[in-house]
Amino acid sequence: MIEFYFEIRAVHIGSVILSGLIFFLRGVGLHAFKASWPMAAPVRFTSYTVDTVLLTSAMMLTVILQQYPLADHWLTVKVALLIIYIVLGAYGLKYAKTPRARLGFWLAALALYLYIVSVARAHDPLGVFTLLL
Amino acid sequence: MTNTKKLWISLAILLVASFSVLLLMGREIYQKAPPMPEQVVSTAGETIYTRADMELGRRVWQSMGGMQLGSIWGHGGYVAPDWSADWLHREIMAVLNAWAAEEGAENYAALSPERQAALKGRLEGLFRTNTYDPATGTITLAEERARAIEKVSGHYEQLFGNDPAFEPLREAYAMKDDTVPDAEHRKALGAFFWWTAWAAGTERPGDTITYTNNWPSEPLIENRPPASSFVWSAFSVLFLLAGIGLLGWHYAVSHGREEEPHDLPPFDPMRGTVVTPSMSATAKYFWVLLALFLVQILLGAITAHYQVEGQVQYGFELANVLPYSLSRTWHTQLAVLWIATAWLGTGLYIAPAISGYEPPYQRLGVNFLWICLIIIVVGSFAGQWFAVMQTLGLENNFWFGHQGWEYADMGRFWQIFLFIGLVLWLVLVGRALWPALRPGAPGRSITGLLFLSTVAIGLFFGAALAWGENTHISMVEYWRWWLVHLWVEGFFEVFATAVIAFLFTRLGLLKLQTATVAVLFATIIFMAGGVLGTLHHLYFAGTPTVVLALGASFSALEVVPLAYIGFEAYHTFRLSKATPWMERYRWPIMFFLAVSFWNLVGAGLFGFLINPPLSLYYMQGLNLTPLHGHTALFGVYGMLGIGLVLFCLRGLKPELAWNEGLLKVSFWSFNVGLAMMALFTLLPLGTMQLIEAINNGYWSARSAEFMQQPIVDLLVWMRVPGDTIFSIGALALVVFVIGLWVRPRYQGVPTEEEERAATTKARA
Repeated sequence: MIEFYFEIRAVHIGSVILSGLIFFLRGVGLHAFKASWPMAAPVRFTSYTVDTVLLTSAMMLTVILQQYPLADHWLTVKVALLIIYIVLGAYGLKYAKTPRARLGFWLAALALYLYIVSVARAHDPLGVFTLLL
Repeated sequence: MTNTKKLWISLAILLVASFSVLLLMGREIYQKAPPMPEQVVSTAGETIYTRADMELGRRVWQSMGGMQLGSIWGHGGYVAPDWSADWLHREIMAVLNAWAAEEGAENYAALSPERQAALKGRLEGLFRTNTYDPATGTITLAEERARAIEKVSGHYEQLFGNDPAFEPLREAYAMKDDTVPDAEHRKALGAFFWWTAWAAGTERPGDTITYTNNWPSEPLIENRPPASSFVWSAFSVLFLLAGIGLLGWHYAVSHGREEEPHDLPPFDPMRGTVVTPSMSATAKYFWVLLALFLVQILLGAITAHYQVEGQVQYGFELANVLPYSLSRTWHTQLAVLWIATAWLGTGLYIAPAISGYEPPYQRLGVNFLWICLIIIVVGSFAGQWFAVMQTLGLENNFWFGHQGWEYADMGRFWQIFLFIGLVLWLVLVGRALWPALRPGAPGRSITGLLFLSTVAIGLFFGAALAWGENTHISMVEYWRWWLVHLWVEGFFEVFATAVIAFLFTRLGLLKLQTATVAVLFATIIFMAGGVLGTLHHLYFAGTPTVVLALGASFSALEVVPLAYIGFEAYHTFRLSKATPWMERYRWPIMFFLAVSFWNLVGAGLFGFLINPPLSLYYMQGLNLTPLHGHTALFGVYGMLGIGLVLFCLRGLKPELAWNEGLLKVSFWSFNVGLAMMALFTLLPLGTMQLIEAINNGYWSARSAEFMQQPIVDLLVWMRVPGDTIFSIGALALVVFVIGLWVRPRYQGVPTEEEERAATTKARA
């Protein structure tokens, strides 16, 4: 599988960007324009598809690189934060009761998304905070 | 004589005739099975193996998981090689390389094409000639074969031990280190593998085909598909087309006759069903089956991942506690167990609902049976764990450990226990149904058919008890397929047809007479191909050509009714829209529609893809087999099981509002996930293997070199999206069911008047 490493890595990074972008745009549409398209089936299914590709490529990379959550702390942090991100995202787009609360969750999810990216870039649980050290 | 009576008589004649021929074939297989020699000696008089070695080897093979780790004669797992084909090829190459060395070449590959051809000609006679002497029970082998066996045996002894040099190969085969820790046992294991390879490469006395009908494909000794496989493949297509034509004619003739319009009930006739204590007690069957289903999915993911990382799961060395052979054992066994639990629960639920009679102590029986099932699952799985870990001891393995026969892996004690459990189930269902089976009871015929299919499900598991610890492998295969094919593919199918039709009659959507005739006719059509179709699993299991001919012809007929499944699906769909109150049953019916779809695709198309002898000659044990297995077993019986569970839950909790969103997610995730698994991984990978098997021999399509290619890894990874979506479906279903008990939303049951008014409005 190492033969496909660069392609898989490119797919992973591409789907991370696309996933974040879709989440961002859906939030903008929902919170700024009160639009209905962010929750329309084609948009939702596109988002699910991108996230599934993202997950698959992530699992492939862990096996290729032999770096695993629980063994490698930056990956452990990524997975843990990912779960929190999913929950925040779900509340930010759908489940929170008031528009204000939804906006808050959405912004928190975006911040967390950026922090997860920084953890991935730094290969360090501290992510962007490594710059402060 | 009424139509129904004629059909009953036809069914009886068909079953008597089919089973007589099937039993006759059993006799043929018994008589023509490849012989187990008393001893194998070299021309120099050296004893290579004894019968005791081979029998011990088989017991060792069974204890380590048998068919769940690699395969024998093409039956079993797909990651490790087919041991028969692998041994045969290694022995051949050892002989050829030894001869090449005598000629001063480095190995056979280094020889000129002319010399290679000459040696190949010499090799063919050496392997294919039958040197078994029935009078003494002795197989005599040339010296060069004796040396080659020694070499191959050494390879296997190191492979199944913990030699670090073989670590990469063990990983490629998803084998744990020290699969067989005992050196003597490893040697004996080789004796068994050798015998299966001998039968695959040695011609039957007075014939030009081997004991396994020339299976596996091995061009070096001219093991190629026999003429019979071409002939009967062509005829099987012919029979299929003829069957489709005939059934089409029948549909054309009966079109418009079978369904006279009748007044549909204005309200749900089952809304008044009183839930008796024993019916309530069946709820726990549905909870347990969902738990088993989740565990089965998890084990499936683990099993699939072992194909990528042979001994670990994302850094965790899982093979030390849950090796591939065990995860696959439990995965395949749980598939049958949870689906069977759905059947059992449904039978116990609907029997009192049909008759309106709650026999004394019925609830106690339902609870007792449930406890027995839990004990059987836990007990048999524990036995298998100790067996695969090689701590149970061979003397206990057959009774309490791992029998190694795919889908019939549990120890004999547990099989007997399960058989008793199924008989108990039969008694419980029978006594509750009894008032509805008495002469004069309305719908007695269709109830009788439903009951007969439960009798068959209960009793035909008994086929699992037909073989013993040392029964010839060809006979074990014969009886095993009684269990897997007749029990699962035959009587489950009848039960499925009968129960769906029956439920529609209970809902008043089908007339009893119409449904009875339709179900009886369908049963006759299914059984016409289904009973003797069992033989298509046995083409290459040491059986004579007649098995191949009958198996090919009759199993082609099995596909005939599936070609017309669209009629049934459309009919079901129309009924689901027939009245407003049918909306209550929307999701059970959606799952019944999925049953029809996967019956066509999984059982019909993917089944027939591997069914003709010529196809199966190459495809057996390649990834095209699980393509059919997954899409047919889950697609048909899994979907049906879930549909039945939902139907029973509707009756058990009639006053609750359903979370339709969760069921929608579940339904579509199951279907999309299953389709993705089939189309992204199993079909392309199986096709790649098929081309390799045709070009270079079966051994090559199953070899580590082929299966470890990056493109194969990539295709295996392509399972993740489909499997993830499928798992979401299962989780959504579980959350839905838990919600019915933990967070019930009461909406009340609409009154009869309300439903009547809604129906009147809809009709207007």
